[in-house]
Amino acid sequence: MLKMENISKVFRTDVVETHALRQFSLNVDEGDFVTVTGPSGSGKTTFLNIAGLLETYSSGTYELDGKDVSNLSDSARSRLRNEKIGFIFQSFNLIPDLNLFDNVDVPLRYRGFNSAERKKRIEEALETVGLSNRMKHLPAQLSGGQQQRVAIARALAGSPRFLLADEPTGNLDSKMAHSVMDLLHNINAQGTTIVMVTHDPGFAKQAKRNIFVRDGQVSENTLVEQDLPSAASA
Amino acid sequence: MTQLNLGPIFRSLLRNKTGAILIALQIAFTMAIVLNALFIIGERNDLMARSSGVDEANSFQISSTGFATGFNHLNTLEEDLREIRALPGVRNATTINSVPISGGGWSMSFQVESGENKPSTPSSIYMVDEQGIDTLGVELVAGSNFTKTDIRLRDGTQEGWPQNVIVTVALANDMFPELDYAETVGKTIFINNTEPMQIIGVIDQLQAPWIGWNKLENAMLSPEYIVGDNWNRYFIRAEEGMRDQTMRDVEELLAKRADERLVENLRSFEEIREDSYSRHSAMIQILYVVMIIMIAITGKGIVGLASFNVNRRLRQIGTRRALGASKANIVQYFMTENVVITTLGVIVGIALTIGLNMTLVSAFELGRMPWYFLPLGGLCFYLLGQVAVFGPALKASSIPPAMATRNV
Ligand SMILES: Nc1ncnc2c1ncn2[C@@H]1O[C@H](COP(=O)(O)OP(=O)(O)O)[C@@H](O)[C@H]1O
Ligand SMILES: [Mg+2]
Repeated sequence: MLKMENISKVFRTDVVETHALRQFSLNVDEGDFVTVTGPSGSGKTTFLNIAGLLETYSSGTYELDGKDVSNLSDSARSRLRNEKIGFIFQSFNLIPDLNLFDNVDVPLRYRGFNSAERKKRIEEALETVGLSNRMKHLPAQLSGGQQQRVAIARALAGSPRFLLADEPTGNLDSKMAHSVMDLLHNINAQGTTIVMVTHDPGFAKQAKRNIFVRDGQVSENTLVEQDLPSAASA
Repeated sequence: MTQLNLGPIFRSLLRNKTGAILIALQIAFTMAIVLNALFIIGERNDLMARSSGVDEANSFQISSTGFATGFNHLNTLEEDLREIRALPGVRNATTINSVPISGGGWSMSFQVESGENKPSTPSSIYMVDEQGIDTLGVELVAGSNFTKTDIRLRDGTQEGWPQNVIVTVALANDMFPELDYAETVGKTIFINNTEPMQIIGVIDQLQAPWIGWNKLENAMLSPEYIVGDNWNRYFIRAEEGMRDQTMRDVEELLAKRADERLVENLRSFEEIREDSYSRHSAMIQILYVVMIIMIAITGKGIVGLASFNVNRRLRQIGTRRALGASKANIVQYFMTENVVITTLGVIVGIALTIGLNMTLVSAFELGRMPWYFLPLGGLCFYLLGQVAVFGPALKASSIPPAMATRNV
């Protein structure tokens, strides 16, 4: 599904060179739920950005869904993001001027779906996250947990193969964080591959695989025991 | 796949209306002022493009005022005309009391029935000799020209008017609306209520001296030499392309007797026209400046609002990119947003334009603006908006998708 080999990422400014990733290698299989932990500044977000085609890399190879993505044009990368990848951000990144319906609609319009198709998908996605009765509300009228659920609906509505989340519970209190995690587990159970950066060791353990990143490299890669299917509600 | 996304763009604008409304109003006011200014410019240009009837490119005037004791006015006048006409490069010359569209001249009223309190028609009068028609470059379209014997001497003591006159088609039609102009030849008309004169010819066109006059096309040729006050104005028509040379030659010729007369007011007809229409040209220039300033300010306003919106939406743009928007989609977003704002501006602008035009119509004697000004003007503002917004839109499209995850 996702295959990175020896990926390096160097940020250069006039004065400094930052090696955000060094020889970063990782395989993620279809249907996996991978959590990424590590100290601040270790390169987690950089990894996620490269995985999600938001940033390019300095060297190495990256295959997404069996396809080498090194030399794709900007618009081809945009299309791949739109079709295959769903993003969930720490601070939700909803568009404040649009109601929930229009927010979930954003990626679907770039996809070029007709309006009936979009409407069906938006309603389904908002139903999945339990907010179908709030479609005309603005993001500011919702709690943080609800906003993040809208963001998840937005990520899901295009039926991506791949969900990338950068500390999705980072801005949420524990109760809301748990409901978001439940949602992610349900989504993974439906077959969507998830890679999630988190600071919460408890949430990290609930995944199928846990990666620890240090100094831009994978320093541990552990397969979590899968004997706790009810862990999600813990 | 291109979609206009008008709905969400419009709804999003509704949540941030202030800037958009201000720019739309600016577009509306600019549109009203620019279109009306353009319309006024067009009208002024039409006024300035009217033909005086004279062979303008080749004509000029010069005047002579005798001051020596014993100066013989009539002899001088006849000798001057003879010598000027004999100059190489001169096509013809005449004396004339005033020059068309020059601003100063003589007008009288004419009536077709003799007597007090009868309807009358005003007309300017040009006192010329039998070479007047050829010198002015007008065309005799009916009847006949003056002969030498028609020319009358008008000195200080002389009362009355010549017997035979020539009128313009416009004057003929004005006095005899039910007749064809050719049928007015032979008609008797009356000046000073009761003094008869006969129309012996009709010329195609010749304007009066006053460009703002509503009877500008009413002109009459009266066969007279003015003598007695030692002053003469000569009107000279040069051969094609010979005007400047001829102006120097004529001035030199008349200056031969500089000890007994003053030679002055050597001016080409083109200078006379420029002077007469200088207020129109100045007005046109001012209007152009106003238009350019207003369009520039509006353009800057559009750029400013778009730039402000780009900066306000950095994160949003990054997020859109992360969710799959291409650079083109981002450019398109801002262009479409501008179309929405411009549409509002143009709708209000059309109303303001019509309102301002109606005010001008009633306040000054301005015509009605033709309808096509509105769609064409609107189109221009769409173009202006698209051009102005393109820079900020391009800048927005270069915001990296990683903006969505960085700088939380
Ligand atoms: N755009 C950038 N320019 C320069 N340095 C950057 C940029 N983005 C990240 N970095 C640096 O790369 C390193 C890894 O950052 P990041 O991937 O955000 O770490 P994490 O998400 O694990 O906290 C850090 O040292 C960070 O300062
Ligand atoms: Mg990070």
